[in-house]
Amino acid sequence: MEGKLYAWIIERCLPLKPDTVMEADVHNNSVPLENGSLAPVDRLRRDRSDSPTPGLVEGTEPGAGLDSAMFVHAQSFEDLTADGEQEEEEVQVQEGGDGSERGLEVEKPRAEGEEREETQGQQEEEVQPGGGRVKEEDINSEGWRSHRKHVFVLSGKNIIRSIHAEGYKVVFLRKSPLVLVGVSRTRQSERELTRELLYIYYQIISLLTLTQLTHVFQLKQNYDLRRLLAGSEHLTDNLLRLLDRDPGLLLSAVTCLPLPSSTRDTISSSLQAAKAKSLVFSILLAGSRLVTLVRKKDQVLHHMDLHLLFNLVGSSSSFREGEGWTPICLPKFNTAGFFHAHISYLEPASELCLILVSTDREDFFNLSDCKRRFLERLRRRSAYQALQEALQAPSYPVAQVGIPELRHFVYKSKSSGLYTSPEIPIPYQCEEEQERLMRLYQYLHSRMHHPTRPLRSIYRCADKENLLALVTSGFELYLCFSPLGTKALAVSTINKLLKWIRKEEDRLFILNPQTY
Amino acid sequence: MLMISPRMAAGMQEKQYTPSLLNFFIYNPKFGPREGEEEKKILFYHPSEVEKNEKIRNVGLCEAIVQFTRTFCPSKPAKSLHTQKNRQFFFEPEDNFWIVMVVRNPMVEKPNKEGKPPTIEYQEEEILDTVYGAVLQQCYSMYKLFNGTFGRAMEAGGVELLTQKLEKFFYRYLQTLHLHSCDLLDVFAGISFFPLDKMTYLKIQSFVNRVEESLRLIKYTAFLYNDQLIWSGLEQEDMRILYKYLTTSLFPRHSEPELAGRDSPLRPEVAGNLLHYGRFLTGPSNLKDPEAKFRFPRIFVNTGDSYEELHLIVYKAMSAAVCFMISASVELSREFCEQLDSLVGPQLTLLASDICEQYNINRRISGPEKEPQFKFIYFNHMNLAEKSTIHMRKTASVSLTSVHPDLMKILGDINCDFARVDEDEEIIVKAMTDYWVVGKKSDQRELYVILNQKNANLIEVNEEVKRLCATQFNNIFFLD
Repeated sequence: MEGKLYAWIIERCLPLKPDTVMEADVHNNSVPLENGSLAPVDRLRRDRSDSPTPGLVEGTEPGAGLDSAMFVHAQSFEDLTADGEQEEEEVQVQEGGDGSERGLEVEKPRAEGEEREETQGQQEEEVQPGGGRVKEEDINSEGWRSHRKHVFVLSGKNIIRSIHAEGYKVVFLRKSPLVLVGVSRTRQSERELTRELLYIYYQIISLLTLTQLTHVFQLKQNYDLRRLLAGSEHLTDNLLRLLDRDPGLLLSAVTCLPLPSSTRDTISSSLQAAKAKSLVFSILLAGSRLVTLVRKKDQVLHHMDLHLLFNLVGSSSSFREGEGWTPICLPKFNTAGFFHAHISYLEPASELCLILVSTDREDFFNLSDCKRRFLERLRRRSAYQALQEALQAPSYPVAQVGIPELRHFVYKSKSSGLYTSPEIPIPYQCEEEQERLMRLYQYLHSRMHHPTRPLRSIYRCADKENLLALVTSGFELYLCFSPLGTKALAVSTINKLLKWIRKEEDRLFILNPQTY
Repeated sequence: MLMISPRMAAGMQEKQYTPSLLNFFIYNPKFGPREGEEEKKILFYHPSEVEKNEKIRNVGLCEAIVQFTRTFCPSKPAKSLHTQKNRQFFFEPEDNFWIVMVVRNPMVEKPNKEGKPPTIEYQEEEILDTVYGAVLQQCYSMYKLFNGTFGRAMEAGGVELLTQKLEKFFYRYLQTLHLHSCDLLDVFAGISFFPLDKMTYLKIQSFVNRVEESLRLIKYTAFLYNDQLIWSGLEQEDMRILYKYLTTSLFPRHSEPELAGRDSPLRPEVAGNLLHYGRFLTGPSNLKDPEAKFRFPRIFVNTGDSYEELHLIVYKAMSAAVCFMISASVELSREFCEQLDSLVGPQLTLLASDICEQYNINRRISGPEKEPQFKFIYFNHMNLAEKSTIHMRKTASVSLTSVHPDLMKILGDINCDFARVDEDEEIIVKAMTDYWVVGKKSDQRELYVILNQKNANLIEVNEEVKRLCATQFNNIFFLD
């Protein structure tokens, strides 16, 4: 694992209306789900062919949920194109509106006062790397230069998007009041790197809320953001590691622990029963895999927010020591307010982690009780045993699919926002090779989703592996074959694999998402 | 260039602007290191009307970007800067001499109601760095071909001479840059070779040898037919840029007098000389003219080592053109030109008709050409050989393509993908328009094929490309 560096430069911040209402209510999330979920369920069931073909209708692809979708899920680059220039609007917290829509009250962030004197003079327009790490490095040192990636966060008014040089790129993302800068030696495209910066931006927002961030810079334009973010470096480090490894962040999707659907349903209904007034989301994780997610009716979680929760849990071992209680902003849900998350492992040595997301910061004991009730119910109904067994096989070898020369694949159902992927096979198990495979998927993804020249499919044949990517209205599929795999094999694999996923979809996906 | 989109009704028209040249400047940061002297850094600036302070600001930005990136890799600073509105390309061809080209992104102007100013949308993903980076390098190569290096000009006459030369050259050259029609061929900057049987090739070689034997002043010779190269005594890099000059600038300016009408002013030479069709494309247009000046363009070759300055004589008979290069230290006289004309004219005329005949025979053997289902571009990095059935013809510097610009950009994307790894690769993509595009890289060769078989699958596309490789390229691509 190579180190990453951060620096923050503050130049100016966005002026905020003096009386921006802090009482943040939840965005109206009853967005019509444009995917299959609007169609009558009967038709969807009928259309769920056992031998799906690439031409199938969206919402009937393997892995598509039967009822409603769990997530608000973005088309891949929606985040980059849609809210790039709309910061001002986002800052203004929704006020007024239809009172009856207010299902939730999110706690106001307490504005960070100027409790400390500015000790460090900050020069404008000058990049000041270093910081963010326990040990600061000299930027003129060879060691500093040789890091594979550098990440800066600056602020300012500029329309520079990126700088390209031989062997590295510098990418800028404007998210007022910040400008995030990434320097990378990886061969990722400008868009891939911008996406990574966007994740880092939302990571920062999840700690501070946009309201607080804006407020801080409103009070002091040259505020040293490092002061506010001190101690959160492990979160950003872990996030960057996930971006290098986890296809979910690339695909804007989440993967599930394979589980018999009856077991999953029991767990979901146990979570559903253990509800509390303030509870918005109950999420059970096995490592980085979703076991189930139960949500308040009409409240939908964005995959980005879920990844930030995953990152929070994955970056820290402290939640293993007992029940954690932490404020967190879910920026895709609402950039203005904090939720409070009750985070605990079901057993000290277990991979199973329960996240209960609440709107009430005084509700710790209530949620602790929810967890107790959930566990009791789970044990009573013997689902716990089945879950423990499933944990023994958190993934599956690609051999189960029975296609020769197929080494690995990633399949995403667009309408459910879930993906499935087998274990990383032997040639890619070491860290470098695993990241190389991810880079290949990122490369395919980037070409397939080019903003002005998107592709239907891409086949790439080279010395080490042959790759095929396919995007239809219902799914995205990325396949990796050994160099012995022929084009004919690649073509025939698509239908075989879709058929296999259909057969296994009960186990691999969450088809019946639950609400309280 | 402006194109009106037909989608919008009259009065509410959407205007589409293609990429265009915003700025082109050359600076040397060492020339005005002190504050207040920044203007001295600027050696050339286009457009020249730009206000002084803006010039200084723009140069300053480039310096800052280059300096900033040296933090990460001192030896490999920035090559391009992407902004919302434009792309800037940086090139340091000689130590501390920077050439910067700023290209405006294509944009769409959408009219607004009730007198509001129109909305402008910049299309940020349309310009390929590889293509425009290559165009910039070509600008320098072309300058160097006719002027030598910046360094030599500095030695000879200081900043004053250099700025004069830059002004004189780029003022005209930049007008010939057609940035909206640049594509993958600019990246390759290859040479199209004329396909020839061995006998005819030997005839040409012996012709070159004979002429060089008789006219000992000649240092280098290059032989072209139909704008395609057959023989060259120059180094590859020098021939590459000379070829570009000949085919995009010199030849198009001298369309064939043989094809022009008898009374056309293009035929002054032929009228007075019935023995052959030879004529000078550079130098005097009429040897008989007592006022004729025997001055030829100077070119600079082998600038990396021996640094030679040469006279460039281009002599043409029918479709055959020969370049004779003679050391610039020699004064060329009327006698020499007459000698060359009488020696080369008749032989070249004969040779040209031989080549033409042979070419027609070969074409008959290979059967009538029918419109194939595919179009392709081929390039060989080793000998710079290039072949395109996508580009219909080249005029002054515009190359017309027969495929949609988006497909051309996909070719460019695949070319960038090949540059990612140094290994043999094949990439087959299906575009949203259902066209298939195939790219193959094998050893030093690259082949790009566009297939218009919308219902074909990957296997059929593969078969089609295999057939193409077998017939056109003798199976030099082995990847399956």
